[in-house]
Amino acid sequence: MQQRRNLSQTHTNKVLLNGQLNVPKWWAPTVSLLGIAVLIGFTAIGIMVNKGLGVTGLSRPVYWGLFITTFVFWVGISHAGIMISAILRLTQAEWRRPVTRAAELLTVFSLLTALMFPLMHAGRPWRIIYYILPYDFSRGIYPNIRSPLIWDPVAISTYLTGSTLFLYVALIPDIGNLRDRTSGWKNALYTILSLGWRGNPRQWQMQTVGGILLSALMLPIFVSVHSIVSWDFAIIPAVEGWHSTIFAPYFVIGAVHSGVSAVVTMMALMRWLWKWDDFIRPEHFDALARLLIVVATAWLGFTFLELIFALYGLDAPEIALREMQMFQWPWNLLFLIFLFTGYIIPVTMWLFKAVRSNIALMFWSSILVNIGMWLERFLIIVPGLARKQPFVFTWEAYRPSGLEWLILVWSFAWVTFLMLLFSRFFPLVPLFEQKESQIFTEDVKIGRAKVPAIIREID
Amino acid sequence: MSKNVSKNHIKEHHTPPENVPFNKITSELVSTTVTGTKKIKQISIILSILSLLGILAVIVKLFNDHDDSTKWGYVAALVSFLLSVGGGAPMVAIAPVLAKANWIRPITRISAIFSLAGVSTLIMTIPLLIMLPSLIVDGVRRRSIWFEGPVFSPHIWDYVALLGLILTGLALFYSAALPDFAVMRDHSSGWRKNLAKTLSRGWVGSDSQWRTLRMRIGMFGTFYFLILIFVNFLFSTDFAMSMVPGWRDAIFPMYHSITSLQAGVAIVVASLWIIRKYFKLERYIHTDQFWSLSRLLFGLTLLWIYFFYSAFIVFWYGRSANDKAWIDLLITGPMMWVFITSALFIWFAPWWWLIWNKVRRSVNGPIIAAILILIGLFLDRVRLFVTAWSVPTESIHDKYLTVIPEIILPGILDILIIIGGISLAILPVLIISRIIPVVSIWEIQQFNLLSKPVKYIKTHGVLVAKPD
Amino acid sequence: MTTAEFGKQNWGMVVDIDKCTGCQACVLACQSENNIPLNTQDRFERGRAISWIRIERYWEGDFPDVNARFIPIMCQHCENAPCEPVCPVYATYHNAEGLNVQVYNRCVGTRYCANGCPFTVRFFNYWEPVWPESLRNHLNPDVTVRSRGIMEKCSFCVQRIRRGVRNAKKEKRDVRDGEIQTACSQACPTSALVFGNLNDKNSQVSKLKNDKRNYKLLPHLNLEQNVIYLAKVDPEKKIKSHSEEHVPHE
Repeated sequence: MQQRRNLSQTHTNKVLLNGQLNVPKWWAPTVSLLGIAVLIGFTAIGIMVNKGLGVTGLSRPVYWGLFITTFVFWVGISHAGIMISAILRLTQAEWRRPVTRAAELLTVFSLLTALMFPLMHAGRPWRIIYYILPYDFSRGIYPNIRSPLIWDPVAISTYLTGSTLFLYVALIPDIGNLRDRTSGWKNALYTILSLGWRGNPRQWQMQTVGGILLSALMLPIFVSVHSIVSWDFAIIPAVEGWHSTIFAPYFVIGAVHSGVSAVVTMMALMRWLWKWDDFIRPEHFDALARLLIVVATAWLGFTFLELIFALYGLDAPEIALREMQMFQWPWNLLFLIFLFTGYIIPVTMWLFKAVRSNIALMFWSSILVNIGMWLERFLIIVPGLARKQPFVFTWEAYRPSGLEWLILVWSFAWVTFLMLLFSRFFPLVPLFEQKESQIFTEDVKIGRAKVPAIIREID
Repeated sequence: MSKNVSKNHIKEHHTPPENVPFNKITSELVSTTVTGTKKIKQISIILSILSLLGILAVIVKLFNDHDDSTKWGYVAALVSFLLSVGGGAPMVAIAPVLAKANWIRPITRISAIFSLAGVSTLIMTIPLLIMLPSLIVDGVRRRSIWFEGPVFSPHIWDYVALLGLILTGLALFYSAALPDFAVMRDHSSGWRKNLAKTLSRGWVGSDSQWRTLRMRIGMFGTFYFLILIFVNFLFSTDFAMSMVPGWRDAIFPMYHSITSLQAGVAIVVASLWIIRKYFKLERYIHTDQFWSLSRLLFGLTLLWIYFFYSAFIVFWYGRSANDKAWIDLLITGPMMWVFITSALFIWFAPWWWLIWNKVRRSVNGPIIAAILILIGLFLDRVRLFVTAWSVPTESIHDKYLTVIPEIILPGILDILIIIGGISLAILPVLIISRIIPVVSIWEIQQFNLLSKPVKYIKTHGVLVAKPD
Repeated sequence: MTTAEFGKQNWGMVVDIDKCTGCQACVLACQSENNIPLNTQDRFERGRAISWIRIERYWEGDFPDVNARFIPIMCQHCENAPCEPVCPVYATYHNAEGLNVQVYNRCVGTRYCANGCPFTVRFFNYWEPVWPESLRNHLNPDVTVRSRGIMEKCSFCVQRIRRGVRNAKKEKRDVRDGEIQTACSQACPTSALVFGNLNDKNSQVSKLKNDKRNYKLLPHLNLEQNVIYLAKVDPEKKIKSHSEEHVPHE
């Protein structure tokens, strides 16, 4: 499975830094196009803030719709970073090496995007200072800590801070590398950001220990952030389909599923765009796909449990909701798509080694997964609101407006835009990890076979 | 400054343990089946007597209390405890093996042996099945996961699943033990040799036999994991949740599963410490094993509070009549002190003990946490199952619980059953240690082939080959 | 002892379904009194119509044996309100007089409270309210006009409560039962809606709430509402007493 490639330091430097030192031709037009999409999105948000939430399709009782779905979706995607860089780093898995920085980056940017959604969809967004910061900005009233909407920004901002620090700590050696190869204003920028990196043993030790400590600290945050977001819904007894104790781990495992798939998408793109065939290899996709099979199956188990126990209560409103969610148009179509794209098609594909090593197939299957996962959030949040309690008189449908769809598309453009902007200045694959991997791996002869081996530190 | 740091750095590291030569591994480990036989015989006799007393107590109880299901809570708690510990222990061998971790090698055998403890679970479940109230009473069906199932659904299918679990565990144990039965056939004498001859079934160590072995371990291992979760789901729902009207808790099966895994790791830590000490296995079981296991244990302890809190926050915040009844029944009501003690033992104390690196990286540190966790788990099962079974049969088919039942204290029969059940679980583990070494010979020898201590610049490491 | 002090009242309402004719006079009165925006057909179709009190109507049976059952539903002012703990800015809370109050100038419009309400009696202003020129003078000066982005709901006509309590205090006497009327209870032609102080043992609401037909909506949610309903008398069926807590079998 793991072939050892002999990659010299010069080759590593040249290829991995070609995003910064020799900007590829496609970069500027792509970023401009994305920039236009981003601007259109911001205009749409501006229109919404100006005119009021009437421009959306929200109504009574479906007060939360596409925006909150997308919010939960982006928080889910952000779990990729911790899964890949922290957990795989702590278990010393070699195949994480090309992926860690891109995963961490995706985390930071998707969290930023996620944070924007609940803020922009408040009725009076210019007054969110009442609860965003833990201070009594008006009338001597502090935010209500009993509200899950207070727990959300606390959790997400903690995760964002931790991830940014983690990203930065891992970035420092590469910034040092870039500082040594540039001149002019770029050199000045890199000099400041590299914090005097010299690459001596003491600095390496601090950087490694710092990374490990941050990884360990981020693990509880990894579990708690999406749990807290899930408790936005789980604690409300009034909405069928929401009041369930399983939401916390269910959402977390769904987030890992969604996030790792997003990393697969990103890795395939990185390999194609910057031609990093030597560094992002089929064996990485193979390992990620195997991890995904386990995670996806666990996720399916949780989905099954959630459904069983929703029906277990034998409450008429809950049963009516599930009937609608699975059997009535248009929900039945959405439900089928969600099941097929979220699990059935991707996992069946990934069971075959030929698919796992085929990068194009991995790319498309990972996109399918994220379509399914977005639909999963939609199917959890909206049907329950549309079919609230036994008061059938107030049941209402939800028809999202064009503006809502536009803002959804904007969020994808925004994250991609930020990532491409980052790639202009910093390498997306950590150089020092690649070089470390070259030193740590060796080929060993056992009997007649030549087997790849890794040096592991005892403690 | 940097010089001092690097000096202390090296002092704290110790050289990796030397690989033990192949012959030595075989002879030392085979001899563990022979040494200490007298003591084990004595202990086994005591355990057998206790087990017999326990089974007798069950029969007496069936005569006395066959019409009152509320008196069987402690038996239910015992079965759940045995299922969790005995069912969770083999998982310690399965998951790291599938992840190709090398530290698990000395541990796989002892953790797989615990599937034999399932015999006790099977026996102790029988009175429960007799006493379990039927699903439909007077045409009223209480909540259960058996939506269209007939009246005896939980009775039959839960037992079949449990049987499946134990058989899979045994299959896993046996498949992985084949090479070692062959070693016993070739290197021991007397009745052991004859027994091993039959059990090793023509193992010669050919290529195809090794491939089949690996495939079997993978298959049985995965299947065991799936069926373990399934059994936990069935048992926790049918024997606890559906016995309390209005208790709808989607995370409870997962809570039961996670505590089962936690208990499994704890019992493996405890057994590992015991066999290291009494069979003198210091050359095979190192700090590395305890370090990795205690990291697992720490993680699972954190998962306990996570799953518990997921349920708690939903019920506490909801404040409906149903939610309040749940909190009253299981946490703040008659079971409050049991809850506090079990939470202390299963979460709070192990967390603050295992959080220290020095404790995790020692041999004698993790066992304290393991013992605390096992005690805490038993109390937790008492809290959940005794209360569930204490709901009177008249109100078991209501829509939700209105009157919190009084706490039921264990009688003499209950105590005998508990002691008997646990003894019956430990007994096969002891007996099997006379037939096959408690540390897997072929796994240790295989690691010899794959690993080699190396010196890298100023430090030491281990070069580990990673074949597919 | 004067009860005309803040905190001595516990405002509640009794709704007698048997007397209710479904005429919607309460809905109209509420809309006039509380400056509720005009509900156009488009708003009804989009599900954005605001009516703090609504008559829920359910059709039963087929022609010619059709039966309409209806029930007026307004904010139940639950003691154990599910909408209160979830507001991040404390824009809704339970005051000392038993009212679930909505503070308009604090509301940020996250709409979390509306999701928590099982009766869907909370309304969100999706647009700025617009009244035609001819209705410019109809606005009640005692009631805030809510801009867009703000949640609103039945307040038990808190402006009338304040005025009544203030007058009573000025005259150094207790608030008389029936002196403070909400717009809906005042407009109801059959006196199906009765408003008053539940703490006052002699008030009409206190006497009516113990009627053997009484029940609360969604009792299993344990909301402890201040709105008590009296069941419709069906001469065909025998009325079961709802006053004791009983647990229905499945």
